Amino acid sequence: MDSARSSAGRPGLTPHKLLIAGGFAVGKTTMVAAISEVRPLLTEEKLTTASVGHDDLQGVPGKTTTTVALDYGRITFANELVLYLFGVPGQERFWFMWDELAYGALGAVVLADVRRLDDSFPSVNYFETRGLPFVIALNCFDGAPRYEPDEVRDALDLDSAVPVVLCDARERGSVKQVLITLIEHVSAQRARAAVVTAPAGR
Amino acid sequence: MASQEGWKRREPGPVVRPYAVTGGRTEPADGEVLDLIAVVVTTSRSAGAGSEPARRTPEHRKIINLAHQPTTVADIASGTGLPVGVVRVLLADLIMLGAVKVVRQRPTREMPSDDLLREILNGLRAL
Repeated sequence: MDSARSSAGRPGLTPHKLLIAGGFAVGKTTMVAAISEVRPLLTEEKLTTASVGHDDLQGVPGKTTTTVALDYGRITFANELVLYLFGVPGQERFWFMWDELAYGALGAVVLADVRRLDDSFPSVNYFETRGLPFVIALNCFDGAPRYEPDEVRDALDLDSAVPVVLCDARERGSVKQVLITLIEHVSAQRARAAVVTAPAGR
Repeated sequence: MASQEGWKRREPGPVVRPYAVTGGRTEPADGEVLDLIAVVVTTSRSAGAGSEPARRTPEHRKIINLAHQPTTVADIASGTGLPVGVVRVLLADLIMLGAVKVVRQRPTREMPSDDLLREILNGLRAL
């Protein structure tokens, strides 16, 4: 199977991915849309017993999932380097898809609302456990109280190296700065962890 | 960005169940699960006699058309409106027929290189 002609002469498309995680309605879709075209991607959620009787599984004996949409966006740079942003739902019922989305990801943004900080605990725990570099971006909702990033760092019990930044998920420039902070953080982590042991799994 | 209107979530779609287009199959025939950002491309054999066009569905043909340029699995799923799991099954069919090949399976879990990170940073700053 090596009919390579159709791609001959083209430099390879090199996609990389970043995750945008966070609780329900924290602005993930808005953030992806602010910096790229956001497109819906249909993927699947495990069926729970609650859906038995609603989802017709006749003729599909191996099917234990139902369809859900997640957002993704694409930023294309020169030389066919493409950055994919995947909006990852923070609710626990979506956890099965995290491993796949996180595999090989460069890093993650945990988008947080200061009024509902505990919604970001699952995301923070997940990325800490996986050793995936992440930054906290506090989405500055109108009318929400303002906290100093250090207060939030304490509340989330974060490693001092993890950047905490304020942002407006609607503003392209603001989102761009968050992503720059993330990549700089990935870079710093890389320098710090000259000796890396592979995380467990897959 | 004013152009966002066009990207609103589509209405609950066609009445055909997603896995009807795979004949009820939920696992890729070759057992290989392609990553969301695995890159595939249509081969020169996609139009040939050996690739059994008769066994292809309209969805298979949509995928072949989308993958004339190297394309990610996520983009194919979005472009066809089919769930990722369905696209994986159909892509496996096409790969086994030799009509599509994988040019980049999955990202490695190795640390990204300094060069790559610098390139991404420069790209982001230039946005």
